[in-house]
Formats: sequence, structure tokens, C-alpha cells
Amino acid sequence: MEDHDHADGFDEHKAADGIQLHLWKRLLRYALPYRRELWLLAAGGCVTALMEIALPLLAKGVVDDVQANGLNASFGLWSAAYAGCNLLLAIGGAMFVWMAGKIDAFASHDIRRDAFANLQRLSFSYFDHRPVGWLMARMTADCRKLTDILAWAFLDLVWGLTMMIGIAAAMLVMHWQLALIAMAVMPVVGWVSAKFRKRILGSARLVRSTNSRITGSYNESIMGMPTSKAFVREDANAREFESLTGTMYQASVRNLVLAAVFLPLVLTLSAVAVNLTLGVGGALLYIGAISAGTLIAFFTLTRNFFEPVHVMGHWFAEMQMAQASAERVLSLIEAEPEIQDSASVKRALTVQQAAPARTEVAPDGGPMRITSIELVNLGFAYDPQKPVLKDINLKVGMDETIAVVGPTGGGKSTLVNVICRFYEPTTGHVLIDGIDYRNRSLRWLQSNLGMVLQNAHVFSGTILDNIRYGRLTATDQEVEWCARLAGAHDYIIGMENGYQTEVGEGGSRLSAGQKQLVSFARAILAEPQILIMDEATSSVDTETELRIQQGMKHVFRGRISFVIAHRLSTVRNATRIVVIDDGRIVETGSHLDLMRADGHYAALYRQQGLNETTRRWGAVGGEAVGV
Amino acid sequence: MHPNKPSANLWRITRGQRLRYASATLATGVSSAFMLLAPLVGMYALDVIIERDFAKGSPWLVRIADSLGQAESYISYLVVSAVAGFLLAAVSALFMYFRGRWSAIATEAVAMRLREALFRRLHHLPATFFDQADTGDLVQRCSSDVETVRIFLSTNVVEIGRSVLLIAAMAPILFWRDARLAALSLCLMPFITVGAYLFFARVKRQFRVADEAEGTLTTVLQENLTGIRVVKAFARDEHEIARFGASNRVFRDHLYRLNRLEAIYWGISDFVSLGQISIVVIAAGIFLAEGTISVGELFAFLTLVSMAIWPVRRLGHVLADSGKAVISLGRINHILEAEQEADKRGRGDAPAEPRVRANGDIVFESVHADYQTGQPVVTDFSVHIPAGQTVGIVGAPGAGKSTLIRLLMRLYPFHAGRILIDGTDIRDVDGHWLRHQIGAVMQDPFLYSRSVAANLRVAKPDAEHHHLVDAAQEAAIHDAIEELPAGYDAEVGERGITLSGGQRQRLALARALLKDPPILVLDDSLSAVDTGTERRILDALERRRGRHTTIVIAHRLSSIKDADRILVLENGRLVQDGSHTALAKIPGPYRRLCEIQGALDSSIRADLSAAASSTSQATSG
Repeated sequence: MEDHDHADGFDEHKAADGIQLHLWKRLLRYALPYRRELWLLAAGGCVTALMEIALPLLAKGVVDDVQANGLNASFGLWSAAYAGCNLLLAIGGAMFVWMAGKIDAFASHDIRRDAFANLQRLSFSYFDHRPVGWLMARMTADCRKLTDILAWAFLDLVWGLTMMIGIAAAMLVMHWQLALIAMAVMPVVGWVSAKFRKRILGSARLVRSTNSRITGSYNESIMGMPTSKAFVREDANAREFESLTGTMYQASVRNLVLAAVFLPLVLTLSAVAVNLTLGVGGALLYIGAISAGTLIAFFTLTRNFFEPVHVMGHWFAEMQMAQASAERVLSLIEAEPEIQDSASVKRALTVQQAAPARTEVAPDGGPMRITSIELVNLGFAYDPQKPVLKDINLKVGMDETIAVVGPTGGGKSTLVNVICRFYEPTTGHVLIDGIDYRNRSLRWLQSNLGMVLQNAHVFSGTILDNIRYGRLTATDQEVEWCARLAGAHDYIIGMENGYQTEVGEGGSRLSAGQKQLVSFARAILAEPQILIMDEATSSVDTETELRIQQGMKHVFRGRISFVIAHRLSTVRNATRIVVIDDGRIVETGSHLDLMRADGHYAALYRQQGLNETTRRWGAVGGEAVGV
Repeated sequence: MHPNKPSANLWRITRGQRLRYASATLATGVSSAFMLLAPLVGMYALDVIIERDFAKGSPWLVRIADSLGQAESYISYLVVSAVAGFLLAAVSALFMYFRGRWSAIATEAVAMRLREALFRRLHHLPATFFDQADTGDLVQRCSSDVETVRIFLSTNVVEIGRSVLLIAAMAPILFWRDARLAALSLCLMPFITVGAYLFFARVKRQFRVADEAEGTLTTVLQENLTGIRVVKAFARDEHEIARFGASNRVFRDHLYRLNRLEAIYWGISDFVSLGQISIVVIAAGIFLAEGTISVGELFAFLTLVSMAIWPVRRLGHVLADSGKAVISLGRINHILEAEQEADKRGRGDAPAEPRVRANGDIVFESVHADYQTGQPVVTDFSVHIPAGQTVGIVGAPGAGKSTLIRLLMRLYPFHAGRILIDGTDIRDVDGHWLRHQIGAVMQDPFLYSRSVAANLRVAKPDAEHHHLVDAAQEAAIHDAIEELPAGYDAEVGERGITLSGGQRQRLALARALLKDPPILVLDDSLSAVDTGTERRILDALERRRGRHTTIVIAHRLSSIKDADRILVLENGRLVQDGSHTALAKIPGPYRRLCEIQGALDSSIRADLSAAASSTSQATSG
């Protein structure tokens, strides 16, 4: 399963040789909706190539006509022919640039649209392994590069083939022996081209991978700047970076020098062809086998004959280089979420969509209200060898607040993630009102969730926008009411612009505690049927927390809530407390029950008392443990 | 203000490489000259054959053909011509190679220097610079903008030289053969260049609009991906798709508009360029009919003008492109010219021996600091923390707790007052030395995307493995590390995404402990750690007591109550200062905290005795 997960080339850069047609076929889907544009593009390419062949032939016509008729040559006619050709060539050129530009812009838009939509669908686990920067690069640079190739490589293929076939035909018709001599160098050019492209491709790969390491290095150094400063890493970082730029320098120079050899080499080879034409063609002219005009046309056509070779070679190399990108972008679009609606749920959703809207029924036809959640023999493992949750049984009803406590790494967050169906249980069931949640719509469940996480994420924008994210239609009054409940109102109005204060990128202008309060308000505003708080107030001071407690009592009413907390003052008020250690429920009951049991919970609880620690430091003993 | 401000302009960044660029341009000139001579060989050959007159041929080639023994042989003249034509092309190609090689070396050297200058500069900018900047934008300046400049240098600099030299070399040849036809051959060239320049200068506006649209798109994308868990938790995918869709469409439409403008340009400039060639052919045809030029000359004019017209057509494009490079350089300069952090060396007289380890005696003297919005963040703050003391700091979010630490580390400037370490103003000491004295664990610790061991060694590059293990054990993270598939060699991933919040905090703590600094700071850095583990860590710290001056910022009283002193902050002011026992006795914010906790405590007692009695009842009953 791990292998399958990373099949999108996230881990390594496969250096595949040759063109993998199946990838391009799948990408071509994105060009096909623009069928009309593709036809016009191909037509533009063809017309351009044909006119480019026609022009030397016109020159031949002029020369031959003048030589035959002197000043009586039909200059007017030739001028008109030239004007016509030029016009066609210009229109053809404008046409293909226009169409290629359109396909490029539109197809990359479509790819991004689909990839983005799919990313919103994918499960949590997808994002666990893929850094944001990596995903960003796929969505931006890779997309652009691919559609660039899609549009322009197609054009140049049409143009190049037309050009080569047309030139060959024209020359063969004019004088086939001379034509064969002119084209004799072709196989050598092809061979040299293939040889060099391969080597350039190899060195270009190193350039690109070094370049992305450089970008990554900038990214990391900017994000970790305070840490680097704190550990006085400035010079060490710079030294590491300089070894990277050194590699970059060498790789780039090597790559560019190879390219600098390649083009002159091709030009030298085509000079061989042109001068062969000169020698042999001159002799043919001397014996009168061809006209001067024909020879002139031959010169131009021979020179033009080799251009498509390296233009097409260029695209061939580009396509090879872009294959890794293609694979990754396609994987983004095609990745299936590990968790999705079952076939029967999908069917129910369509049925329900067609039916007249009824408010008491959820979109999947099930009941709208959530009155109980039951975990039955629930187990979960990321890795079958190491189960994270084992044999969890728990039934929670309406209005209940379940506090989940236990040591770090015991599986508390995993448990709530499974309840939210961000991960699905590997064994056992989660029943919502008696129905396994895999038989309900994922979307319905998740739109009834309110989550407050420890690393509260806020988006850039105003505080108002951020809270309103919980319910987009909420009025300003409702937002303020929720901010009050969350204990955030006071500090918000204390800020310069109140609710309109910009929080900065990732909420950089708020402290960690302030972010937690904003995200708490956001969750309250969402009026979720299930409220999850995962260490939601860990960075909030005790006094503010006490104030929130009042609000929480109100918030917990009418829904099912799960609260993960280390601070036991937060936990005491829960209706039930579940102690999880090493993936199992080791204790469950009310605060009083568990204190009585004097087990894990009582021990945890005592550790937070003021007296217990004092005792430990050698003050009065025994007092705290009143047994 | 800073004489060494490394601001860049197109001239300055080429320092040290200018000779190479000059050589590359010269090589281009030589290459072009030889390339232009090749058609002349064809011209002579055509005329010799058509006119049957060796006097029409190139005197040199005729002499060479003669010296081969077969005087007045058309075949040997043709062979000599073909060989000469080939040799001219080969020499031209050779110089083209030199040009490519030299300009590659020069450009890559410039790009390397630019990248390194940016990287170093970034590290010497104050923390406040990063608060106001957007990471993605900064990275873009360092990568794409450098790339734009690089492309400009590698192709455009030499390209401009090439176009100019080509015309300069071609014009005399044309005028030498026929002045009238030469004038006609060049008549549209200025229009093509100027037209292209004007056009691209206008296109630049659309280009910038499209660029900004792409920037917006990137920002929307980044926001979404970094907050993807929130998006999912609120099932806001449709909202996000609509938001992204809007900026995606805007970008598409601007890009399309830009491409369409290019298409129009392409068509028009093609038409004009081809018109130039057509004029040459028709005019040459008429002159040929008049007998004023030869067939060979017609061929030469046609070939030369065809060769020159494409670079000329590109010239306008290139000139406009240089505008892009100038814009990119401006964006690069935004970083290079930003005010550096206050001088590392410190003001005035630095202490005699900065290498010594500080004792860790800290004094804040009426410190006043505000940042960004103008709200005072720390106001008239004075405190003396003797070396070896453990101090707890509590206060509401935004009270200025973290700011104090940043001021102490000189990450932020303060506007009044003094901060002294061992009696010396921190502004007078070497910044590096200062930070070497402080080991801070931040709220949201940053881990480098390397192995666990490498992350720890950041604190002490020469640490032995057992040192790492010791520190990890003290931070109660050793067992968790051992459970990772590769143990200490496990990669932590970008920003430590493969570790849980608590694990990251503890790893950062281990890193700070490994540094073994005179001053240890824990800034709310145990918030994601459970109480049991926290206890173990605090015990470990207790064993180190006296070795460091320790500052602990925390919300849980259990984390700080054993401290020698507790400082209570409110709105940037120090409102209480004293030991737990002292502060708990007097009315004030700390006592309020204790009461909350005390209520908890008495309820613990109550709960426990209730539990005990019920248990005893149960046993007796």
C-alpha cells in the first residue's frame, strides 16, 4: 500500500527514456475539447509550411522569367503572387500562434481546475506525505509546462512534417538527383541530433533537480529564519547553499556548453549539404540541366530542410523531460480518495437529488439529525504491524461531551480522526444512529462537523472572514456572538481594526493562543452536530480558558462533543471521560467515577495539582493523596 | 546608510564577467561575418557559371583553382567554391561555439553570485522583515526573478550584439554590390525593429496583468493547501473550488489575451518581414532584367536579407524583454537593499573576549518595544534575573511574553531602555555570540527537512551520538525516536510533518538542551505534551537547575510553579513578580490563577476523599 501511495513519483525521479505515449494520450484528453482550435492550429501550421516552401519557388520563377523574357517578365504577376503568399503566411502564422495560445491557456486552466477539485476530495492521508511546496509546484509550473508542450509540440510536429515532406517533394520534382544529394546528409544530422539530445537531456535533468533543491533551500531558510538565527546557523546555511549553487553552476555550464556544440554542429552539417548542392548544382547549371532559378531555389530549400529536424528534436527532448511532470500532474487529477462514498450511497444521493427537497432528510436519504455515535470493536492501523487503536467500544448520545485523555502518542487524535471519517477504521465499525457511517454520505457527515485543532490554521484575510468561514452566510452579529462565546471578542476589539484586522499569512500577526480562539469561534459558528476539540485551548492562558468554560457549557448543548485535552480543568466538566493509553480505552466514566477508581486518570489528575508537586520537592508529604 | 549595500543593476551584476561577455559578442561578430561571406561564394559561382567568365568570379578562388593545376576549369572552380563555402560555415560555427561557451560561463557565474548574495542577505535581514513578507513571494523573487535575469543575460545580451553586428557587417557588402538595391533591402528594417519595440512595450502591461493574476492564483492555492485540514473539517470544498475557479479563470483569460496579442504581432511582423524579402526579389528581378545586377547578386541579396531579417525582427522583442529583466532586478533589489539587521559586531566597543560563555545574568531596564501596528507590545519592562535562576512567565495571549524573548535574542528592536546580559548591553555585543548564549524552544518549533540527528546537531555540529541520546532522553523523546523506522536517521520531512505536535516540541527541546546554553528559554513549548511526559521533562530540567538561567513561558501552573520566580504580564507590563508562595498570598492576577487551580485542587481533595470514603464504604459494606 505504501508503494501504491507513492506511485506518483513523489519519492524519486525516474529517468525514463523514450516517449511514454500512454501518458501523452491521457494528457491529450485536455486538448480534445478544443477540437476546432486544434484543426485551425493544424491548418495554420500546414499553410505556413507550404508558403515557406512556395517562397523560394517564387524566387525561382522570377529569376527564370527574367532570364527568359528580360524586362518583359510579368513583374506585376510575381508581385501579386508574393503579396498573396505573404498574406497567407502571415495569416497562417497569426492563426497558429493564436490557437496554440488559446489551447495552452485553456487546457492548463482545465488541468488546474480538475486537479484542484480532486485535491479537495482526497483524504487526509494523501496530505500527510506530500509537502505543500511539492503540490504547489505540480499545480503551477508543471501544468504550464505540459500544456505548453501540448500546444506547441503539436503545432511544430504538423509544421515540421509538412515542411520536410513539402521540401523533399519540391526538390525531387525539380531535379531528383540533385535532391537526393542535397538530402544525403539528413541521416547524419538525425543521428547527431539524437545522440546530442540524449546527452543534453541527461545534463538538463541534473540542472533541474539542483534547481528545485535551490528553491527548496530558499523556502526552508525563509520559513526557518528565526530558528536559524537562534542557533546562529547563518554561515553554516550559507556554506551548504554555496555547495548547491556550485553544483548548479557546473551542471548548467556543462548543459549549455553541450547545447553550444550541438547547434553549430548541425549548421556545419547543413553547410555540407548546401555546398554539395553548390558544387553539383553548379555543374548541372553549367551543362544546362537546370536553370539558375532552380539552383537558387535549391539553396534556400536545402537550408530550410534541416530546421524542422532540430525543432522537432527540441520537442522530443522537452517531452522526455516533462514526462515526470506529466506523471505527477496526472496522478494529482486521477488519485482516488482512500475514503469515498460507497456505490449505494452514491445511488441514494442521485435519487435524493432528483426528489423534491425535504429538510428533515439528509442528501443521502438518511436522517438529518445525529443523536448517537457508537464505536464497535474499533481498530485502526496505518501500518498493520503497529495498530494505533485497538478494540475500542464506546457509545455516545446527544448532549454528551466526551473528554479523551491519555499520554502523548496514545492514539487520541487518531480516534477523533476516525470518528470524523478522515480515516476509516481498519476493523470494527462506527455507527451513527445505528447505521455504519460507511453507508452514509461522507460529505453530509463532514459538513456536520466542527473541528478545532491544536495547530489552529487561520487563512490570511480579516478576523471576520476567518470566523465566518465556519458558516459563510452568518451575519456580523452572529460572528461576534460566537467570538464572545469563544472568549476571543475582547482581544479582537482591542486590536487596531477590530474584526477587520488583517491576520497576515497563516495568521502570522496573531499569537498561537489568539489563533486557537479564532478557530474555536469559527467552529461554534458552524453549529456542528459533532464538535471536536483537539488540544484546542492548549496555548490559551488559564484565565481566558476559565472564561471559555462558561461559553463551552452553552456550546456543548444540543450536540455530541469530543474534547482532547491535557489540561484537566478543561476535562473535568465533560459528561464522560475516556482514558486512552497505547491505543486502548483503559478507563471510562465520569470524573468522580474515575477519581474513585484511583487509576490512570486519578494519577494524571494529581500530577496537575499544585500540592502534589510541592510535596515532591520535599515540602509536606501525604497531604494531597487523601487516602 | 550601508556602504556595502549590494544593490544590483544590469551593469553591476556583470562585474568580473564583462571580458567574457565582450569576447562572446566579438565571437558572434566573427561568426556572423563568416556566415555572411558564404552566400558571396555562391554569388561568384553562379555568375562564373552563367556568364562563362572567370573574371566574374572571386579572384582568390580563381587563383586557388588555378594553382590546383587545372586553369580555367569550371569544375575545379566549383569544387573550390564548395570547399570554401563549407570552410566559411565551419569557421562561423566554431565562433558560434565560442560565443555559446563564453556566454554560458559568464551568465552562470553571474547567476551563482546573485543567488548566493540573495541567500546571504536573507539571513542578515531582521525578523521584522519576514513578518511583513510573504514566503511564496520571497521564494519567487529568489528563483523565477533570478531565472528571468539569467535568461536575459544568456541570450539577450549577446543577441542584441548579434543583430547590430549582423546589420553592421551586411550593410557594407550590400552597398558595395549595388547601392539602390541595398537601400531597398534595408528600407523596412527600422520599422520592424521600432514597431516590435513599441508593440512589446505595450504588451508588457498585459504581461504584468497576467503575471499578477498568476500571483493571485498561487496565493489562493497556497492558502488552500496549507489549510486543507480546515477546509475538510468544515466541508468547504465547494466554496474553495469556486474561489480557486474564479482566480483560475481570471488568469486563463489574461494569459489568453496576452497570447492573442502575440499572435497579432506575429502576423503583422511576418507580413512586413516577408514584404521586405519580396521587395528584394522583385526589385532585384527588375534590375536583373535591366542588366544592372547579375543572377549571383540577386542570390546574394536574397540570402543575406533572409539571414538578417529574423534576428532584426527579434531585436524589438529582445529590447522589450530587457524591460522584464529590469523589473525582475527591481524585485531582487527589494531583498538586496532591505535594511540589514543591526550590525552583528555591536555598537561601539565590543567586550574584550566575546568567546567566553556568559554567566546568564539578565537585566531588563525600562524596556519599551512596539512593532508593526504601533500598539505597544512591551511597556516599561524592568526585571533582573540573576544567573542560574529559573523564572516562569504567565499572561494572557498577546500580553507580550514571546516578544520579551525575541527582544532578548535581538530578533526585534526595542525603542527605549536597555537589556543587559552579565552587565553588558546586548546591543553592544556580537549578535552571534549573544544567540550562542541562548537556547530557545519556540511555540511552533521549526524543524529542518533532514534527519532527526541532523536536526539535533544544528545546536552542536560536533556532538557525538551519545550526546544526542542524552539530550533526547532528557526531553523525553528518545523512545519515540527509537520507534521511528530509521531511528535517529529518520527524515522528519518538510517542517517536520511526519512528527506529531508534541514530538516536534520535544525534539526542539532536545535540540536546545544539546546546545547547553547559559540561558534556556521554553516558550510555551510543552503545550502539546501530556502532563506525565511534562513531569518527566520538568524533573530533568530540575536536575540541571543552576546550570542555566531558565525562562519558562507556560499556561499550566504546574509547569512553572516550581520556578524561583514568577513574572505575570498584562498588556505588555510586568504586573507581578515573586515566588509562587509569595504571589499566591497577595491578591492579584496570579492569585486568581491559583484560585482557579486551587478550586481545582480542593476539588481534587474533595473528589479523592469522596472516592476514598465510598471505597471504604464499599469495602466495609
